[in-house]
Amino acid sequence: MRTITVGVVDYGSGNQASVVHSLRSLGIRVRIGGTPDELDGTHLLVLPGVGAFPAAMEVLHQKGLVSYLKESARNGRPLIGICLGMQLLMSGSHEHCYTEGLDLIPGEVIPFDGQSVHIGWNTLELTRQTAPWSASDGEAFYFNHSYYLSAPEEYQVAVTRHQSVFTSALQRGKVVGLQFHPEKSQSAGKVLLKNLIIELTHA
Amino acid sequence: MLKKRLVGVVTIKNGWAVQSFGYQRYLPLGKPMCVIENLDRWGVDEILVQVIDRSAGGQGPDFDLLERIGKHGLETPLIYGGGIRTEADGVRIVQMGADRLLIDTLLHQNLAEVYCLANKLGAQALIASLPMSLSDGQLNWHDYRTNSDRPVSAELERCLRLGVLSEALLVDWKSEGRVDGFTNTLVEKFPFKNTPLIAFGGLSDPAQARELLERSNVTAVAVGNFFNYREHAAQNYKLALKGLPVRMPTFRTENTFMAAADV
Repeated sequence: MRTITVGVVDYGSGNQASVVHSLRSLGIRVRIGGTPDELDGTHLLVLPGVGAFPAAMEVLHQKGLVSYLKESARNGRPLIGICLGMQLLMSGSHEHCYTEGLDLIPGEVIPFDGQSVHIGWNTLELTRQTAPWSASDGEAFYFNHSYYLSAPEEYQVAVTRHQSVFTSALQRGKVVGLQFHPEKSQSAGKVLLKNLIIELTHA
Repeated sequence: MLKKRLVGVVTIKNGWAVQSFGYQRYLPLGKPMCVIENLDRWGVDEILVQVIDRSAGGQGPDFDLLERIGKHGLETPLIYGGGIRTEADGVRIVQMGADRLLIDTLLHQNLAEVYCLANKLGAQALIASLPMSLSDGQLNWHDYRTNSDRPVSAELERCLRLGVLSEALLVDWKSEGRVDGFTNTLVEKFPFKNTPLIAFGGLSDPAQARELLERSNVTAVAVGNFFNYREHAAQNYKLALKGLPVRMPTFRTENTFMAAADV
């Protein structure tokens, strides 16, 4: 079996230290890269993220990563976006002002009602029972966000309840978005990350 | 359903994890990483690392400690507090692996910087540290730097009402470290009902934690000293909260995880 190398995109807005450690604890080789050259040759990309959408997109543009990530996904290389990284996969976000995203999955990022934030451990309810996800149905993961996705149901894999029901995981081909932090979700997070990476890199 | 949380607190002074009594008297517990690793292994819902001598000493955040934590790699969400001066400090702390920042001195000193932090990192990343006490039925906000108390300022009130910080750590600082010490009246008197609260200070008894967690505005309880002297203290604390929407504890054996059934 080939060794999987995951490229973790370093664009200055992520908590990549936690993601890198989590992946390495699964026996996965990790390369951290902030430029296309550094990320070339990896089997799967992880786009982590903490912070505001507009600032993150600005840095991705500055580093020449917007076209690189889009091209990479078009060529079939798997991509997992985590938290803000998931939101960046969408067409755009209304955080602060409207900002265009990577547009790999149609949909928009909108705020919860009334300054509400969603912080803590909450349950994933699968809307699609497929191989890499099924073991995570009903498990609790760590969320930490104040904006969420409004995305077409056809890409929705799981929902979570806060104020109302919102999309907490989605997948379009080999592009996957997780609104929660699997790297900070203890054993439940490790199981999901492992299942996703194996499925996406071997399918 | 969103769970209520149990936060494990590590207090650090002069580079050592300490047991604190009302932030006045301290006993050494050992190397911070040992205490932090224990909490990570015990499956608490968040870990709060508060380095209490950084702001007073003007030293800035403890980046060496954060680097050691990053190298170890926690599987539990991390809140860091201590010495945060600027937006740049906050961004660097998050890049080093913290999920959220606990803000104290800046609330007294430079609220404009708190707005900058919120703009850069989002409100969900910020927690207000509010050490409180009661005097003649009035709620007073404690300033560690001057060891003085005053009512919450109008500027901070505005900041909380606007949701610039996502939660407040309501610290019963006088009871901190004291068995059964937390004063529930602090929660009752807390005027900003829309600000979710993490209660901290003397919560040795899970029964008192249960009473607090049953309130809609209390999202978490934080416990420090009382987790350090007994085997499985954090897990047993969680078991005692059964029936509430709390993640049930994980008992980690050598190769497997054993989880009690979630509520």
